[in-house]
Amino acid sequence: MTQANKILLEQHGDVTLLDIRGDITILSESSLNDAYADANNQGAGKILLKFERDIYINSGGISVLIQLLAKTEQNNQQIGIIGLSDHFTKIFNMVGITKFAKLYTTREDALEAIS
Amino acid sequence: MAMIQASDKHSIEVNLPSKIGYERIAIASSAALAKMGGFPVARIEDLKSAVAEACINAMQHGNQWRLEARVVVKMNLSDDRVVISVTDQGDGVSEVPKYPGIKKIIEENASPRGLGVFIIQQLVDEVKYNHSFDGGHTMTMEIRLPK
Repeated sequence: MTQANKILLEQHGDVTLLDIRGDITILSESSLNDAYADANNQGAGKILLKFERDIYINSGGISVLIQLLAKTEQNNQQIGIIGLSDHFTKIFNMVGITKFAKLYTTREDALEAIS
Repeated sequence: MAMIQASDKHSIEVNLPSKIGYERIAIASSAALAKMGGFPVARIEDLKSAVAEACINAMQHGNQWRLEARVVVKMNLSDDRVVISVTDQGDGVSEVPKYPGIKKIIEENASPRGLGVFIIQQLVDEVKYNHSFDGGHTMTMEIRLPK
């Protein structure tokens, strides 16, 4: 059955990268919130979410991500996303996530644009 | 436990408990059926997401996560389309919830209710809702081969 995500935090200059392993569903809520809280406590001003390419994301997971975006808005943090498949790039555009988080193709592109 | 059975030559039926994660069985079955029908990868991905959302809606809003309440997913492949019906044991809803949009969720703390249905409506060619008088609510989705 679905497991909670493993999330590794990496610092790249002033960008905190959350390397998220596993599917994004409602079961991701606590691990994503904990990882964001850790990044926030470290004073992150810019956040980059990295997903694995072939994962399963459903509306429960998207709702969790939207709540995370609400926190980054409240805290005036810049946020980007990398690693999405073409399908989930389409869905993230469809539901409006790209109004609040910019999608990048590669980690290098993202770090260059955000830093 | 989930059960899978073929009801006719091009039909599959999956019977699931209302527990998160079991929707993956319906996702895998529908994807396999669409692949057999020659659907392109992008449309199969659309179908997988639509089936996931319909099953989760049925488990959550229809069956209220009652483990003993079942979700029945019927899948039929014809020449140019896959038709999938997802039936729960709930009463259905008087009105299909409307996704409020991300700005209202983030800026006005609106509920994200309706997000799953919104995703389904965007991904499939046709969606219908039907309430059965002997109990149960069915969402039927159709996805067609691109011309």
